[in-house]
Amino acid sequence: MKGLLKYLSPFAPDQSGAVSVFYELGGIIVICDAGGCTGNICGFDEPRWFQERSAIFSAGLRDMDAILGRDDRLVEKLKDAAKYLNKEFALIIGTPVPAVIATDMKAMKRMATKRCGMPVMSIETIGTRLYDRGAQDAYMELFQTYVEDTQEKSSKTGILGCIPLDISVLDPKAYIQEEDYYCYGMGDGLEAIKRAGSVERNIVVSPASYKLAVYLQKRFGTPFSIEYPFLPDSFEEELNNIKDKKVLVLHQQVAAHEIRNLLRKNGCDVTIGTWFMEIPELKEAQDLHFEKENTFIETVLKNEYDVIIGDPAFKRALKGFTGKYIELAHFAVSGKFADASQNALWK
Amino acid sequence: MSYVYSITAKELVEKGRDNIPNELQSSKHLIYSSPATLSFNSPGAQGFGVKRAGLAIPGSVMLLVAPVCCGRNTQALAAPDGFGERFFFLLQDDTDIVTGRHLNKISKAVKEVVDSLETPPSVVMICITCVDALLGTDMDRVCKKASEYVGIPVLPCYMYALTREGKLPPMVLVRKTLYSLLEKKPRKKNVVNILGEFAPFQDNELFEILKGFGIQRIHEISKCKDFEDYKTMAEANFNIILNPEARHVADDMKKRLGIPSIEMTRVYQIDKIHKQYELFGSALGVSIDDTKYYEEAMKVIEQFNTLYPNTSFALGEWCNADPFELALALLRYGHQVKEIYGTITNVNYVYIKKIAQISPNTKIFTNLSPTMLNFNCKESEVDLSIGKDAAYYHPECPNIPWNEDNKPFGYAGLKELFTRLLEAKKGE
Repeated sequence: MKGLLKYLSPFAPDQSGAVSVFYELGGIIVICDAGGCTGNICGFDEPRWFQERSAIFSAGLRDMDAILGRDDRLVEKLKDAAKYLNKEFALIIGTPVPAVIATDMKAMKRMATKRCGMPVMSIETIGTRLYDRGAQDAYMELFQTYVEDTQEKSSKTGILGCIPLDISVLDPKAYIQEEDYYCYGMGDGLEAIKRAGSVERNIVVSPASYKLAVYLQKRFGTPFSIEYPFLPDSFEEELNNIKDKKVLVLHQQVAAHEIRNLLRKNGCDVTIGTWFMEIPELKEAQDLHFEKENTFIETVLKNEYDVIIGDPAFKRALKGFTGKYIELAHFAVSGKFADASQNALWK
Repeated sequence: MSYVYSITAKELVEKGRDNIPNELQSSKHLIYSSPATLSFNSPGAQGFGVKRAGLAIPGSVMLLVAPVCCGRNTQALAAPDGFGERFFFLLQDDTDIVTGRHLNKISKAVKEVVDSLETPPSVVMICITCVDALLGTDMDRVCKKASEYVGIPVLPCYMYALTREGKLPPMVLVRKTLYSLLEKKPRKKNVVNILGEFAPFQDNELFEILKGFGIQRIHEISKCKDFEDYKTMAEANFNIILNPEARHVADDMKKRLGIPSIEMTRVYQIDKIHKQYELFGSALGVSIDDTKYYEEAMKVIEQFNTLYPNTSFALGEWCNADPFELALALLRYGHQVKEIYGTITNVNYVYIKKIAQISPNTKIFTNLSPTMLNFNCKESEVDLSIGKDAAYYHPECPNIPWNEDNKPFGYAGLKELFTRLLEAKKGE
């Protein structure tokens, strides 16, 4: 049955992906919910929340707000909070509640921009989609709002798509090999984003940032490549021992693609399986996209892989698998880091 | 700008109960989200929210019918006690949340879940969320249909965050659901139910006192071995309510099963504990001698007072206490309370009035105020903090979280509190 999960738990939702993109940028983030969505985003999907304070708020919607559609109250609350917080912008994030009552998020954005006297953005996340869709929409809203027109080119590289949900590490700079770069949203903030039009090239590290790379290419002529530098050293060493095997890699597609490239050097026959967005140019004929749990289990078991590489949470659904399972955590799946030693930092 | 909203107990009392400042009313401002507010924002993520509580019936499983976002933190609930094996999900898509078509799939989903289990569950709880609250779903009807389809009881659990401050909030309704399968039985004089929590209470004198006047079985839902054991709760002579959120279910049990109830409160003022036992005894027509327990608790309090007189505290609400009652208790034991992070209610306003008399300058904050983002612990040093939220604001200060699932009660709870405070100071 579509939507029924008997062994897996839900993956990170669109609203978590959207918040993650904006998390470090120094704005006021308002989640348009009754409280539960905010708790889920912060307490489970945003590991940085435990490490540093951030201006993240729930709208605290109650039944009468939803029934009467009192958007003006939310805007007034935002205006009051902004007085004391000295932030550069505000962002309103959608959830199932505004989706069900058909809140006009764009109208709310306009109203809030006028009343608060600061840039306000909104993302129409609805809580039924996955994190990558929310992140993609957030990247587009953010860069379309802030990137400045320029004719100049610097020697810098832009790293697109760094959010913990996708790269499963908290310290991306420890992995990036480039010498001169902007790591947008994890280390580099709004000033870097404003100058995104001047970079020499972009690196796409997740499918969620692919649309943004295409946009920047069209607008500024910036070329991009698709790479994933965030595999832990110990994991890469483990890959060296896999030779001439039939392998399934379960992850976000860019990470899985990087692993496929490494395994092919060892003569492996590699299939990528993902529940998330796909970049057409990375997809090969044998690759799998999953939407139903029972199809996932049947397909994976039927194909008799020698090795499966994936998040530990998938193992519960694949009890009948008799080959070797190599764990590589995907934060959007299990809320765990690729480098397991980092898990103790926030749980 | 580093403004943080707070008000002294004296100022608050001068304003009066009917003029609580907007800054202290959660409906009047955005709700700040920090680790100090996690239990407010997502009760299911910490402690017992609707999801964990809904599984209190032995042998039950839960099907969460919701958008993907509502089930996300269930991963976090899976690890410590194996709850993950008891959760199932029916995820709603974009069309479902507008049309409600998912309701037609629930019976089949329940059957698929039941068929996948080696042992059939005693009951399937269907947990629904804000989406169905707004769609106006008649969940009783949906559950009845599903129950007929699978031949197992199917019950609704309402995780409606939108109604959190309503007359029947989710944590009240879930308690009613949990006891709704009890059927009327002849009452037994020596059987009592303790209502209110979802994990066994910490060992406390109430059990001994009850046994002292002939009570042989003291039921807590979390201690029921299996579904048959759970059903014997209907034999109780009376219920003891130890959490106000269980009042509604106690009323329901009075109507349906004829079981009356008596309510007791967790307090930390030792004379109030004594008074409560006196009243409890007179309600039951027995005399309760609590001298031994009183003296044991007082001994530990005095030990702490001797070693650490005039200790200054910061108290949070993310703990097993009403922070205002706890503050009053600590003040009466001779200590200082510099800061309280709490939510003001009609019940605890009574304590604030007394705090204002003893310690007018005690500052009251609310965790939920947006200005708490600017809180700086260096501006207010304290010796000890109680509650996980207080630990967040004063990370360098010794803290006891005091927020275990197994709740403290009575003299034993008070004694344990001061034992932990002693340990925290010794370990400094």
